[in-house]
Amino acid sequence: MIKKSIYFIFIFLLFFDSIRAQQQYTISGFIRDAKTGEELIGATVSIKELPGKGVSTNAYGFYSITLPSGNYEVKSQYMGYEPISKQIVLNKSLKLDFTLNESSQKLQEVVITSKKNDENVTRTQMGLQKMDIKEINNIPVLFGEKDMLKTIQLLPGIKSAGEGNSGFNVRGGASDQNLILLDEATVYNASHLMGFFSVFNSDAIKDMSVYKGNEPAEYGGRLSSVIDIKMKDGNDKKYSVNGGIGLISSRLTVEGPIVKDKGSFIVSARRTYADLFLKLLKDTTLNQAKLFFYDVNAKANYRINDKNRVYLSGYFGKDALGISSFGINWGNATGTIRWNHLFSDRLFSNTSLIFSNYDYKINVNMGSEMNIISQIQDYNIKQDFQYYAGIKSTLKFGYNSTYHKIIPGAITTADNTSMKNLTNRYAWENAFYLSHQYKFSGKTSIEYGSRVTIFSLLGPGNFYTYDNKGNALDTAKYSSGQFVKTYIYIEPRATFNYVINQKSSVKASYARNVQNLHLLSNSTSGNPTDLWIPSSNNVKPEIADQTSLGYYRNFNDNKYEFSIETYYKSLQNQIDYKNGAELNFNDNVESQLLFGKGRAYGLELLFKKKYGKFNGWISYTLSRTERKFDEINNGNYYPAKQDRTHDISIVGIYEISKRWTLSATWVYNTGSAVTFPAGKYQIDGETKFYYTERNASRMPAYHRLDIGATWIRKKMDKFESSWTFSLYNAYGYNNAYTITFRDSKSDPSKTEAVQTTLFKFVPSITYNFKF
Amino acid sequence: MKYNITIAITFFVLIIVFSSCQKVINLDLNSASPQIVIEGNVYDQSGPYLVKISQTVNFDESNVYSPVTGAIVEISDNDGNSEILTEPSSGSYITSALQGVSGRTYTLTVISKGKTYTASSTMPNPVNIDSIYLEKNMFGNEKIVSVNFTDPVNISNYYHLIEFINNGRQTGFNVTDDNLNQGEIISYSFMSAGNVSKLETGDNVTVWLESIDENVYEYFRTAGRDGGQSSSPSNPTSNISNGALGYFNACSVRTISIIAQ
Repeated sequence: MIKKSIYFIFIFLLFFDSIRAQQQYTISGFIRDAKTGEELIGATVSIKELPGKGVSTNAYGFYSITLPSGNYEVKSQYMGYEPISKQIVLNKSLKLDFTLNESSQKLQEVVITSKKNDENVTRTQMGLQKMDIKEINNIPVLFGEKDMLKTIQLLPGIKSAGEGNSGFNVRGGASDQNLILLDEATVYNASHLMGFFSVFNSDAIKDMSVYKGNEPAEYGGRLSSVIDIKMKDGNDKKYSVNGGIGLISSRLTVEGPIVKDKGSFIVSARRTYADLFLKLLKDTTLNQAKLFFYDVNAKANYRINDKNRVYLSGYFGKDALGISSFGINWGNATGTIRWNHLFSDRLFSNTSLIFSNYDYKINVNMGSEMNIISQIQDYNIKQDFQYYAGIKSTLKFGYNSTYHKIIPGAITTADNTSMKNLTNRYAWENAFYLSHQYKFSGKTSIEYGSRVTIFSLLGPGNFYTYDNKGNALDTAKYSSGQFVKTYIYIEPRATFNYVINQKSSVKASYARNVQNLHLLSNSTSGNPTDLWIPSSNNVKPEIADQTSLGYYRNFNDNKYEFSIETYYKSLQNQIDYKNGAELNFNDNVESQLLFGKGRAYGLELLFKKKYGKFNGWISYTLSRTERKFDEINNGNYYPAKQDRTHDISIVGIYEISKRWTLSATWVYNTGSAVTFPAGKYQIDGETKFYYTERNASRMPAYHRLDIGATWIRKKMDKFESSWTFSLYNAYGYNNAYTITFRDSKSDPSKTEAVQTTLFKFVPSITYNFKF
Repeated sequence: MKYNITIAITFFVLIIVFSSCQKVINLDLNSASPQIVIEGNVYDQSGPYLVKISQTVNFDESNVYSPVTGAIVEISDNDGNSEILTEPSSGSYITSALQGVSGRTYTLTVISKGKTYTASSTMPNPVNIDSIYLEKNMFGNEKIVSVNFTDPVNISNYYHLIEFINNGRQTGFNVTDDNLNQGEIISYSFMSAGNVSKLETGDNVTVWLESIDENVYEYFRTAGRDGGQSSSPSNPTSNISNGALGYFNACSVRTISIIAQ
């Protein structure tokens, strides 16, 4: 590994040498939306005279490009916007900002032929899915609540963990192997209402990128994917309000300038009122039940001068569920303070202070009140640099230091007197990274780098070692701040792109990811009470090595996009549970775990029509995910729960007129691997089921059609409004949510299998407005 | 009128939204060769004690579990007593003279069809039930049965609780340990949603408190959570060797009764 690193440094120096030899000037600046002033992420800047040498804006809308002196035509473009070209004479470094206008419907046909939207072919990164927020608006979803995390599950390689479950599996990874970032803060539980909604209010979201395990070195900490979500900055030109009123939830967003063209804010809130419907029920227990969630996104930013800008963003969400004298609430809170600074027109810096919290509280009031709380908290400082070394070369480096605090469980009385406490866990995670993107003069580009992760488990507390049966053998006592165990890992990453011609390219990549926080969950759908544990003397860091290869081809002036990607991933130190594992309120929870390995491989196809009155995509994934544990199935490979052989999604959006847009999605997937009984017997007069092999059976295949329609009302003055209608599971197929086994209700001498279906024909209506 | 229609629509939507539907389906499940199932108990009360031996059947067969006959069944203790059990009815083997004494370790040996299965279990000291009462269910309005008992200090105790309503044994594997209540008063409530009988005023409720050893506790604990919501259901952890299903439990038992008001 050290040899490899030295080699990297060597070639990196070599590139620098070649740059220094020429007389160069820098063009740098920001690209913004003309109407709102929002910086555009991933907008491209290209030079007509130097084809294939474009750069794209970073997460803050900044770009920098260094060229030899001369006359150039600089062109900026972004999907769904009209491109702008500027003639420049480059004899000194200059600042060049672009403000792009959203392309109107009519212009779109013209735009298609005039712009080169071939990013999927030309960019080095592979295994990346970008979700256009505007596209999401037209896709029908459950209860009409547009949901980005649900929409990405229509893309190849990203699979829903099951109906009514916001959890998802990327390339065979478990749901806890996805790093979900909201303005850089980790979101530990991305689901509302037991998984029926995600915590992200799409009105407040500007950009979402999904990396399927091939993420650049600046990301780390989870094995399977990174979902990087960036909140809107707010309109810095004028005030605007938009919102929606739906059957079970409503939302409202207010944004506007703090100081015109210098600073802006946005506040976006949502609240569901599902429990109002419960009031109509006759059952006296249920009609007094509590069932709702709300969330608030808020962000403000201020441009101090050309070189400095500060951002403040936060998220707060809460779910509450209560039946009779039992109540539970849970939620995330995140906060990010950021400072962008330009050290020069080629060196961009961002410093972030990040806070993240997830907790739940169970309240039981039976005469005397009792509370159970659990919490995971992060304090994180992050420093990122981007150095635009030259037209061929961009360098990214930085560090990240996070302090984790986990309260696994604490029981208190009403007046906060502590009754019982599980041992709190503390950990300090440090990471350093360096990555270099280089475009060779020909058709080849490469991005390579490495991340070094240093994870330390800290005292105070007792730390145990266990025998095979899970009995504590040895106890070591550590005091506050003492290092209990430290793991150091190097995570090399590299992606290679060869552009065959303007229309097609081949990419290959390798990445290692290491994960030091693990979610213990042994239920069929994720629970808000699932516990996060850090790596320790018993639990080793999970490791994934992924190799992937892809071919990308665009047709018909980039109107159609086609890609095929394959991957092979090997996983180490995977976690499973002993029979009947006790994961709740157990100080020795680590003794309940089994450790093994896994492998996942697959083929992903995506065919997409990007423009026109009719657009959409077809995605298909063929894959296998297996695990191997000494204690399970005699140590043979067996299918993981999330193993799905076939997975198909078809999305179609048709714009009939300026007023009406129709849409439909159809999904099909092989049922997940499950353990069904192979026999039955009786114990103490009760029927018990006899299990042989783990995950040897399959749930029935799942398929569903959703349809939607949007009607945009004629614009009145400044007021815009629309109605969205949707029908979920339009042909009412009885999909299996669970299959359980029991003594037959009609014939007690028999047993029966019972399938539970959640949703058939769920209609919804939402009214959206904007002014 | 309009108000009524609104309610009707809302109610219609609500039904769709919140009522999941269940149906019985036909599944082609894997079959397995019959496995031996052994249930044996020794109490600190006078015998006879019963060891029941049966076999598994495939899922789609009826709930008739054929007894395993002609097995050689022996129970011995660490005090030199032992007895070969007789089989008065098919698959039911009983003791005649053996007396359970707390503190002793009992060993069960079953020889059937050329295979030998053994298990041992140590009978803990008895723990008395202090009180029995009815209270409101945390999740609803119906009454549930609770008992209080005092956990002996300084040793790890494991408990198995059984609820009888009008002498009908209720389903569910109810266990608890003293991990969080060492030496304190333990309150245990039967959250038996799957009760065969609903509790009515005038019902005679009896609760058994079995003090069991750790391995038996592990069996009943895992038996209670092997299905349902677990994503990886499995067989309970048996204390019997050689792959037999079931358990062998030497326990002290105390009981208490109440008439439901």
